[in-house]
Amino acid sequence: MVVEVCVGSSCHLKGSYEVIELFKARIAKDKLEDKIDLKGTFCLGKCGIAGVSIRVDEQIITGVTPGNFDEVFDTYILSKVA
Amino acid sequence: MTNSRLLTEVGYLSFNHVGEQLCGDHVEIVSPNESVSILVLADGLGSGVKANILSTLTSKMLSTMIGGDIPIKECIRCVAKTLPVCKERHVAYSTFSIIKIRENRYVDIYNFDNPTPFLIHNGKVMDLDYSSTVIDNKTIYHAKYEASLYDTFILMSDGVKYAGVGETLNFGWDTPQIKDFMGSIYQKEYSSKALATELASQCNRLYNYRPGDDTTAAVVRIRERKQANLMFGPATNKEDDNEMVSLFFAKEGVHIVSGGTTGTIVSKYLGKRLVLDTDYLDKEIPPTASLEGVDLVTEGIITIRKVLQYANNYLADNSDYFEWSYKQDGASKIAQYLFEQATDINFFVGCAINNAHQGEDTGINFQTKMHLIDQLADKLKQMGKKVRVSYF
Repeated sequence: MVVEVCVGSSCHLKGSYEVIELFKARIAKDKLEDKIDLKGTFCLGKCGIAGVSIRVDEQIITGVTPGNFDEVFDTYILSKVA
Repeated sequence: MTNSRLLTEVGYLSFNHVGEQLCGDHVEIVSPNESVSILVLADGLGSGVKANILSTLTSKMLSTMIGGDIPIKECIRCVAKTLPVCKERHVAYSTFSIIKIRENRYVDIYNFDNPTPFLIHNGKVMDLDYSSTVIDNKTIYHAKYEASLYDTFILMSDGVKYAGVGETLNFGWDTPQIKDFMGSIYQKEYSSKALATELASQCNRLYNYRPGDDTTAAVVRIRERKQANLMFGPATNKEDDNEMVSLFFAKEGVHIVSGGTTGTIVSKYLGKRLVLDTDYLDKEIPPTASLEGVDLVTEGIITIRKVLQYANNYLADNSDYFEWSYKQDGASKIAQYLFEQATDINFFVGCAINNAHQGEDTGINFQTKMHLIDQLADKLKQMGKKVRVSYF
C-alpha cells in the first residue's frame, strides 16, 4: 500500500512534518514496514481544508492532524493491511 | 580585451569593536567601468564615530579618485588635506589598502600601514613583491602583479592581526598564522565572501566574540562567471507555461525549480518523473524532489522565504553561512547555488495566482510571492550578482 503525505506549502504549514513523524513511528510500532510504502507528494489540491492531506492508494483523505492521526490510521490504513 | 568568461569577485566582512555600533573600518567597492574593479579598505584612527568618519572619507575619496585614474600621489595628498584632525591626538589618520584590477588580470595593490596584503596562487599562499615610495612622510607600499584564474588576494585591517590579544591569545596569532589559516581553508570553489567570512569569523572567535579592535577581512579573486536559473511559479496563462519552460532550459548553467505545481509542469515538459523525498532534512523547510534534467526541485514560497532570510543575514554578519553552506535542505541548497556559486542569475517568475492559497490564514498569497522575488533579486544585486527577472 502506498501512503503519500502532502508536503506542499500549505500542508507543510499545517503540520506535514509532524504527520510524517507520526506515520514513521506508527509503522515501526506496528511492524508494517513491508506493507506500507510511505512517500511525500506535492500539492493534492485540497489546500482550503484544515489539517494535512494524505493519499492512500489513490484515495485522498483531508484534515489529518496529530489529534485524529490514530483514528485516521486505524480507519483508512490498518483495516486494509492487517 | 577583457575576457568576459572571467570576473573579479569581491567580498568582505567586518566585526565591530566590542560595544561600538559603528565600525571604524570601512570598505568601498567601485567599478568605474566594466573592466575595472577597485576595493579600498580603510581603518580609521580609534574606534566608533570618529574612526568611522575617517575611514569612510578615506575609502570613498580613494576609490573615486583611483577610479578616475588620478595618480596615487595626488590621491593621498588630497585625502591628507581633507581628513579632520583628531583633537586628542592632533593627527588626521586612516590606514588603507587599495586593490585595483583591470581586465581581470592587471593588479595594483597599494598599502599604507595595514597588515600587508598577500595572495593565494595555485592554492598556495604567496607574498607579493612590494616597492616603497614616500609621499608626504607616508611610506606607501606598491605591488604590481599579473593575475591568473583563481588568484585570490587577501586584505585586512589590523584587528585581524591582533585577534585574540587579551582574550584567548597573546600574540599567538600573527601574519604567519593568518597565512596558514587561509592556506588551510582555501579551496578554489570558495567565493570571496566565504573566504572573508571564514577569516573574520575566526578572528571573532579568537576575540571570544568581543573584538578588541574593528576587524575586517576583504578578499578579491579572479573567477569564472557562472549562471544559475531559477523558475518560481506557473505562468499567468496556462498556454504560456511551455514557452516559459523552454526559455528556462535554453539558458546554460544550473536549473532550479521552486514550487510544487511548477515542478509538475516541468516534469510533464521533460516527460520525466518527479520523485519527492519524504525526509525532512530541516523541520522548517519542506523536502526537495528529484527530476532528471533539473539540478534542484524545491517547494516554493516557504523555501524562498528562508533563502531571503539567509540573504539578509549574508549582507549583515553572514553568521548563517555556517549553516546553509553545508546543509542539504532546499533553502540551503538554493543559497549555495545562488550566493556561493553563481555570478549571473536569471529568475523566471510565473505570476499565476494559486487559488488554493488565496484567503487562507497561512500567510501565503500572490502579493507575498511577488514581494519575495523583488526583495531577493535586490539582495542578490547587493551581493554583486548580475540579476535578471522575467515575468510570465
